Amino acid sequence: MSDTVLLDAASAYPEVNNVLAALRGRDWSAVRAVLDAAPPVGRSILIRAAADEAGLEEFLRYVLSADPDDTAAAAMLGMHLIDIGWKIRSGARAQHVSGDQFVAFHDWLRRAEVVLLEGVARRPDDPALWVARLTSARGLELGLAETRRRYRKLAAIDPHHLPGQNQYLQRLCPKWSGSWELLHAWCREEMLAAPPGAVQGALVVDGHIEHWLELDSGADLTYLRNRPVRQEIDEAAQRSVLHPDFRHDYGWVQAASSFAMAYSVLGDRTAAASMFTLLGDLGTDLPWCYVGDGNAASQIRIHRQRSLRRGKAA
Amino acid sequence: MIKKFEVGGVPGLLAPTTGPMQAGLAFRVGFTDEPLAKRGITHLIEHLSLHSVGVADYHYNGATGVEFTRFHMQGAEKDVVAFLNGVCAALRDLPMRRLAVEKEVLEAEAHGRSASVSEPMWLWRHGARDYGAGAYPEWGLPSITEDDLRAWVARYFTRENAVLWVAGDAVPAGLELDLPSGTRQPLPEPSSALPVTPACFGGSPGLVAWDTVVPRSAASSVFAEVLERMLFRELRQESGLSYAAQTDYQPTGRDRVVITAAADCLPENSGAVLGGMVDVLATLRAGRVDPADVTAVISKRVEGLRHAEEVAARLPGLAVGLLAGRDVLDVDEQIAGLTAVTPADVAAVAAGAWANGLIMAPSRADWAGFAIAPPESLRAVTGTEFKPLGDVTARLVVGPEGASLVEPHNLLTVRFDECVLMRAWPDGGRQLIGADGIVVWAEPTLHRGGREAVKLIDAAVPPERVVVQAIRNPEQIPQPRTRSTTPTTTASTSDRVSGILGLIVFWPLTLIFGALGALLFLSLSTDAEDVEYTIVIGLLCIPVTIIGIIGIRRSLYRMRYGPRKSRQR
Repeated sequence: MSDTVLLDAASAYPEVNNVLAALRGRDWSAVRAVLDAAPPVGRSILIRAAADEAGLEEFLRYVLSADPDDTAAAAMLGMHLIDIGWKIRSGARAQHVSGDQFVAFHDWLRRAEVVLLEGVARRPDDPALWVARLTSARGLELGLAETRRRYRKLAAIDPHHLPGQNQYLQRLCPKWSGSWELLHAWCREEMLAAPPGAVQGALVVDGHIEHWLELDSGADLTYLRNRPVRQEIDEAAQRSVLHPDFRHDYGWVQAASSFAMAYSVLGDRTAAASMFTLLGDLGTDLPWCYVGDGNAASQIRIHRQRSLRRGKAA
Repeated sequence: MIKKFEVGGVPGLLAPTTGPMQAGLAFRVGFTDEPLAKRGITHLIEHLSLHSVGVADYHYNGATGVEFTRFHMQGAEKDVVAFLNGVCAALRDLPMRRLAVEKEVLEAEAHGRSASVSEPMWLWRHGARDYGAGAYPEWGLPSITEDDLRAWVARYFTRENAVLWVAGDAVPAGLELDLPSGTRQPLPEPSSALPVTPACFGGSPGLVAWDTVVPRSAASSVFAEVLERMLFRELRQESGLSYAAQTDYQPTGRDRVVITAAADCLPENSGAVLGGMVDVLATLRAGRVDPADVTAVISKRVEGLRHAEEVAARLPGLAVGLLAGRDVLDVDEQIAGLTAVTPADVAAVAAGAWANGLIMAPSRADWAGFAIAPPESLRAVTGTEFKPLGDVTARLVVGPEGASLVEPHNLLTVRFDECVLMRAWPDGGRQLIGADGIVVWAEPTLHRGGREAVKLIDAAVPPERVVVQAIRNPEQIPQPRTRSTTPTTTASTSDRVSGILGLIVFWPLTLIFGALGALLFLSLSTDAEDVEYTIVIGLLCIPVTIIGIIGIRRSLYRMRYGPRKSRQR
């Protein structure tokens, strides 16, 4: 059993390294070659991962000025500006974010919005633009109706676009002025709409993880163990990560990681072990940063060892 | 074919029609010419001049608009002649005895009239002057005098400032149009109250609107209709967010046009309607104009023009166009202009339209690059300060330059030299309106020394800008509320029981320990033994008694008003 935990997107999807290498060489056609070869969900994930790279604004603005119709550049620039803003805001709850932080955060998001608006005006069928617009809509608190409109635009292009679904899921949480009723109903609906074996089962478990996170210690575990919830999680696992048609498509690591976390918290070591076996050294920061001290790598390590030991014993 | 002619020095346009004869007389005067303190004067003149025409059985009408005032008639030739000559005669000698009654009629008309969706946009774009004046009620009416009316007629209702159109076979015989002589009144230059565009401001729930000003052209008219088709598809057919998504195309000035788009919706959906509308506007701006939309709009408009030509429906628009200095295009020229419009032309209009845009929506549009239009003033005046009374939060400052209402997060200033109207109530209430549309209310009841403030204001505002109002009912005069501590809640039965139980416990406790403490201290003066014990026990009685008194107060409160609320932020 290895002690390694690989959290970065590049470990899960090697194409990320190719995009990053091309970006660092400021070779946009090489970036496009990788992006254009990826399926839509993969393309959105790659754009999202690449946008995290520091100091891209000037280069991407240059690319866009040369070809305003290049919406891969628009989506990456939009996401990049959102990232800058979000780093200023920090991931803390709103009450711990200062007024100045909010001003700067919203300012960056508005810059992103302007880029993304021009992008969808030119190519409204690019899903990566809508993923970014869902993210900025949440940060700018544009309201549920506008966020829903944006999600529907995305769903009309690709009804099972996990990166956008993850954003909309967050928006439906009470911490972003949504509600549990809306959230759980939507997660289940999206799972059932997706073909068996698709990653969308993860939406159901992510919804319950968000709910668990919101409850006080003690009540949270009671919530997850509560029979209907537990049944929904198991059903979602059967429809996705445990289904024979489950493939290592883009998004699969996120899905398996969420189930591994939920089963670890539930203390179901056998179920957790099967997820950890599936993942190998791979993992994701979210939702593991919600557990214990918030250090995802060490939490994965602890729970992985615990469950695999038990798995072997059984 | 449209022919030009002249009657009594008034230029006219003549074209054949299929139905009965129609004719119209229009003057280059409207809301845009009215200073706010005379707001309503043109409409009042229109009413007075139609009064003498009486309740005749034929089809006539008058209409006061932003730039033009029109009198229109349909019927037999002799009736048309009688009507138009009658209006001109009435304008020369207005029935002034009707003044008070017609003012009341206008008030009734205003009461029953529903405001157009775009009126607040005129105000935010232009302020309380020229093209913004139409957004205001007819606030000048109470102070308009007979002399004001005569002066207004002499300036605007003249033969040089009029135009006539006749839809029929020939100019009817007997038409005199005996109007006074004057000069053509040019249209005012539109003022701007927007430091930058595109801009946005807050509107009422359930409506999202956008307007813009672009050069008048065939491409602009096609743009307006392409926009309507796209909004209809986006907001109604695809998303079901809106029932009515429409655009309006209004020529203004000599060569400009105001295009307005408006979409209604459920209040909770306005954010999405705003998002959808912005997306459509950006799509057109980016040049993605569907050629099929352009073709469909052009053929519909060409058909409309041909029909309009048959029934001479183009005449009224062309006639007032003469007053604005526009050329008279014949229908073939107009059609040729339309059919030459390409999708690229529409996109070019869209780019300019975006840059000049103004959005009215319940939620902000700053995320889409629309600057928030200034809802307050930049500076306060310096001068005497009048402190707020009771729960009023704003300080009133009156200086030689103007008056300001100052709050921590709100600042309103009207400079006296830019005050376009002051409404004055006999009780001392004053409403000052600045040229930029900012309003300052000076209510003597709400500020310490408020009467003094009103005296200073009255001395500084020119009398021609003041409109004295009727007496207000006492309940209409604002009064400061004292910062009340009396709660508004009432106690439930269980609260009453808890309160009474509290009283049963705390009353005896307080009485016993209070009395004991008092007796012990009294005993000090008579009994010198065990002084220390007596003092210690006596001191112990004090806090218990205090706790008892607090308990009694709380119990009484609970019995009357229920539990205390935690302080709200």
